[in-house]
Amino acid sequence: MAIPTPDPGAFLRDMLGQWESMANQVGGQMLKSGEFAKAIQGANAATMNAQAATHQVMDRALAAANMPSRSEVEDLSARLRGIEESVARIEAMLMAQAGIAPPARPRPSRNRKPPAKG
Amino acid sequence: MTDTAAPDAFDQARALFDRAIQRNFKGLDYFASPAPVLGASPKDLLIQRGTMNLYHYRPMTDDVYRVPLLLVMATTNRGYIFDMVPGQSLVEYLLKAGYDVFMLDWTPPRADEKTLTLADYVLDFIPTAIARVQAETGEQDFSLVGYCFGGVLSLLWAALHPDAPMKNLVCFTTPVDFTQMEMFQSWADQRFFDVDRLVDTFGNCPADYLYSAFDMLKPGAKIAGNIRLLDNLWNDEFVKSFRMFDRWATDTLPLAGEYFRETTKKLMWANALHNETMEVAGRPVDLGAITAPFLHVTAEHDHIVPSAASAPLIDMIGSDDKEQVTMKGGHVSLVAGGNAIKRLWPKLVDWLGDRST
Repeated sequence: MAIPTPDPGAFLRDMLGQWESMANQVGGQMLKSGEFAKAIQGANAATMNAQAATHQVMDRALAAANMPSRSEVEDLSARLRGIEESVARIEAMLMAQAGIAPPARPRPSRNRKPPAKG
Repeated sequence: MTDTAAPDAFDQARALFDRAIQRNFKGLDYFASPAPVLGASPKDLLIQRGTMNLYHYRPMTDDVYRVPLLLVMATTNRGYIFDMVPGQSLVEYLLKAGYDVFMLDWTPPRADEKTLTLADYVLDFIPTAIARVQAETGEQDFSLVGYCFGGVLSLLWAALHPDAPMKNLVCFTTPVDFTQMEMFQSWADQRFFDVDRLVDTFGNCPADYLYSAFDMLKPGAKIAGNIRLLDNLWNDEFVKSFRMFDRWATDTLPLAGEYFRETTKKLMWANALHNETMEVAGRPVDLGAITAPFLHVTAEHDHIVPSAASAPLIDMIGSDDKEQVTMKGGHVSLVAGGNAIKRLWPKLVDWLGDRST
């Protein structure tokens, strides 16, 4: 009978599993604390302020260079998409009026019953 | 004894050596090869309106159940969790079982969609999708299946439309008592979290912000996951599965600003759904008004929506035909992967089959 040789990999995998459980538990407890929430939201608020300030500076710089800002490009994109959707609707209406229907997909019948339970 | 033990040790050493060699080759392959194509089941895009997309999957049987099925995805993530790859796709499983499947899925809201509110999702997107499903199939009846926050949206719609011809309602791991989502409660602590400032600054709630919140629910998971990936690089199936789920988990969507502000205040802070004070566009929500057959499936080890957050739902629903099932697995493994194939998918097909004729 062969004697099973200890697998060092299995030992390390087990250790990893234990570490993960511990990290999730301890880390989770820490994250639930009010102090952590306060710290993380403080950091988020600082990031938000920095981003807002950056946006303002960028908008001014782009306006000075006679260039559109990101928000203006996004507005244009939204309008373009709206126009595309309108064109698609008009195209579909015109095709319907001209009697050009898209090829009909085969439709299945709708009479299926659940398999009998044994 | 030593003689018989030697080949065993030798075989193990050889296997370890083989794996080490394969790790090196496949490690290079991991970075050089493209990620698996996800969500590729044949489908038609019926509606694309801003963040809203309605898909109709092409039936795989000549005869389907009379009642079509509409999946409603959570607004924070992509719907391809239901359609990973062939053989690991809930959509494919349902199609092969004879269902006519539609999915309401979301794309990142555009900058101009920051004004979308909960009412837009509940009183516009869902009814629009349902009307199109009815028109497409010629059937008035339909089944609604919502996952996580998609379940919340489905509940809100169903409660506000008690006379609609909804044949069945299924929710997967859907929270109602938001005070029990302890980590999110801490993250969104009203004393420190200024949701107004966030929305007023960014317009939409950034995906990175949401991803960090999800990621921090299990602080050790990412490091351990990457070590496991390294250990299993020789195993093609493991690597494929890791890549699929990792891609989905990191593919978090931003949320429309006003919608995020409203859900934070009403659900996270006021716990309005559980306290029965919820309203959408001024219309009070009564979950007791839902009388269609109802199935709620929760996961035993759900770290995002713990059982305590989802368990009260079943008692709040007014249906006579209602069932609550808790299955092994976590928030994601409940709906996708090997665990889902064995547990949730057969249960869903079985439960719906009797109620879809």
